[in-house]
Amino acid sequence: MDFDLTETQNILLNSAKSFLAKEAKDLFREVEKTDEGYSKEIWQKMAELGWLGVVFPEEYGGIEGSFLDLVLILEEMGKVLFPGPFIPAVISGLAILDHGTGSQKDDLLPKLIEGKLLLSPAHIKPNPAIAEMKLEDEVGVEDGNFLLSGTRLFVPFGHVTDMFIYGADMEKGTTLFLVDAKNSGVTSVALDSIGADKPCEVKLEGVKVQESDILGTIEKGDEIVSKMEERGALAESAFMLGMLEQVLKLSVEYAKEREQFERKIGSFQAIQHHCTNMATDVDQVKFLTYEAAWKLSQNLPAKKEISMAKAWASDASRRVSLLGVKIHGGTGVSEEHDMQLYFRRAKACEVAFGDGDFHREIVAQELGL
Amino acid sequence: MDLNFTPEEEKFRKEVRDFFIQEEKIVAEANKEWDSGLGYGPNCWKILKKIGSKGWLCPTWPKEYGGLELSYMYRFIMMEEMQYFLNIYSTVGAGMAGPVIMKHGSEEQKKEFLIPIARGEIEFALGYTEPQAGSDLAALAIKAEDKGDYFLMNGSKIFNTRAHYAQYHWLGARTAVTKPKYKGISLFVVDLKTPGITIRPIWTVGATRTNEVFYDNVQVPKKALVGEVNRGFYYILEALDYERISTVTGLQRDFQEIVEYVKRIGKGRDPIIRQKLANLAIEINSAKLFALRVAWMLNKRQVPNYEAAMLKMLVSETEQRLVNTAMQIFGPYGQIQEGSSWAQLNGKFERIYRDSLESLITRGTSEIMRNVIAGRGLGLPRG
Repeated sequence: MDFDLTETQNILLNSAKSFLAKEAKDLFREVEKTDEGYSKEIWQKMAELGWLGVVFPEEYGGIEGSFLDLVLILEEMGKVLFPGPFIPAVISGLAILDHGTGSQKDDLLPKLIEGKLLLSPAHIKPNPAIAEMKLEDEVGVEDGNFLLSGTRLFVPFGHVTDMFIYGADMEKGTTLFLVDAKNSGVTSVALDSIGADKPCEVKLEGVKVQESDILGTIEKGDEIVSKMEERGALAESAFMLGMLEQVLKLSVEYAKEREQFERKIGSFQAIQHHCTNMATDVDQVKFLTYEAAWKLSQNLPAKKEISMAKAWASDASRRVSLLGVKIHGGTGVSEEHDMQLYFRRAKACEVAFGDGDFHREIVAQELGL
Repeated sequence: MDLNFTPEEEKFRKEVRDFFIQEEKIVAEANKEWDSGLGYGPNCWKILKKIGSKGWLCPTWPKEYGGLELSYMYRFIMMEEMQYFLNIYSTVGAGMAGPVIMKHGSEEQKKEFLIPIARGEIEFALGYTEPQAGSDLAALAIKAEDKGDYFLMNGSKIFNTRAHYAQYHWLGARTAVTKPKYKGISLFVVDLKTPGITIRPIWTVGATRTNEVFYDNVQVPKKALVGEVNRGFYYILEALDYERISTVTGLQRDFQEIVEYVKRIGKGRDPIIRQKLANLAIEINSAKLFALRVAWMLNKRQVPNYEAAMLKMLVSETEQRLVNTAMQIFGPYGQIQEGSSWAQLNGKFERIYRDSLESLITRGTSEIMRNVIAGRGLGLPRG
């Protein structure tokens, strides 16, 4: 039994902390109102540190670390709300690593790891009951090529992404296509959203792709998608862990400073108990996330543990950020204070890669129910 | 990070499990006694002595005092397995009184008590709480006057749960009136058969017996004092440090029982039940991880402060949600007590629903735990 990090992990963690403190302290606020929603310059610097390649083999420029290493970096990113499509890039890259052809891997992975290529999964179909217009969703075949038409939603940073992993419904299952975003017939629109993390609507109209653009096997894409979602859920939990740690830190600091009734408000039990409930939630998210990441790193089955982490993180993110707002009082709802950024982003993270209910259902299945 | 136990630790766990399975009959009888609410009966003593004879009650202790000189992780494993098979998961002697005697007791006390504690032959009743001294333990008032040859004790204690079968009282008493209050408290080991001591039962909502203990001009020999006079409060806190672990194996066992029940009666497809059980599974797993963290810290000889408080709070509150979920799943059948054919799972959860309330209070209420976390963990100012 050992909860300590290795020396290498500590070095990684320290470098992450100092890089983010220097480059990304107020970055989220700076880029939030821009069209891109992230900073290309800092993305490039981050890539140079090797973060995008943490879990990739050396032959593609990666550093062959473990998922736990990645989780530690994501936790630090979460603390500063690091903007950009980091999680989609990594999970898409891993899908290519697992299922791509030799040339897909050679072509895409080094660029991805160097920060020169943005990749995003695009497989969430709009709910037809919610859509106002009739949605065209087709896969046509013409001279051995495929013609893709359809709309995909909540594609992270789809408006700046270079390539999509597009999930097309076919007769016997989903086929995943690597679709170049510059292809004519592709339009991406960033949707204004509560977390300002650029979920996009991506529309394909008769986009021509070839068999060599298929990722994995034709009509066997669902497994790849669920694996991407699984890794995404764990990565998102790690990011949320960092966010919640920061909310706790801000709230405790505020409670130690702020005076009312001639006392520091942190001396009131009502505030103290809010803080301890937050701290408990944060530690629960932390160890559930670490356990899942540790299992993945050991090549042990981790489906249940990942869903445990994301289910708890999803609900804790709401609870903790709400308590954070309450402790900050009026300050917590003012635009100029960071608290509201975390509150908003918490909602976006909660619903990304499945919310609490979704993951509890997976846990129930894993319990044999 | 490594969340595995070592192969040696796993081997030890297996040995312990095999032992409990082999002693199945005595274990079942002991559990019956314990669940009756009366505390240790003859079979409880029998199984404790068997465990003690293997050195497993105090595996971390020196061999000369009946231990095995193993690391803390072995004690943790032992407690996990004991809680799983037996509802008693530690004795007060092994967990609290013993370690304090070992560190601060006289040579005579060590000789008299340590080996019998390790062998499971004796037990102590905690003698802390008084009617006016619950969470504010330093307000305890039972008087111990130094009469030269002996201490003369007068006063009363309440909720001293093991007093009717333990041989000894682990007694906090006032030896000086001081400000602050905690500086006038001393700790004693009192033979509960000493003339002048009366024990009166109090029954809890969980049908468990606890006691009031009255001291009426009781003459306690000087040698009963543990450590230095007026240092008792420090020893009491230290003893709490020794017993900071909570395990979740009992919760895991009960949870599994509910899962099997749900499958058996065909409610497994109910989405609400699925959500509730999944949430419990997650909560219990997080409590397990908290327990492992505390065990790991203790194994490294660190003092887990807020971490232990958080563990205690989470385990006891998770137990509430577990029994509550079970009762909700049973619906109106849940209220029926053991003995009726309509009782579900022999009315086990009807009983635990009542009996588990005690965990929220004993060893510090959840609210006191939160105060500890706020102060020691988060550095928030005192109120």
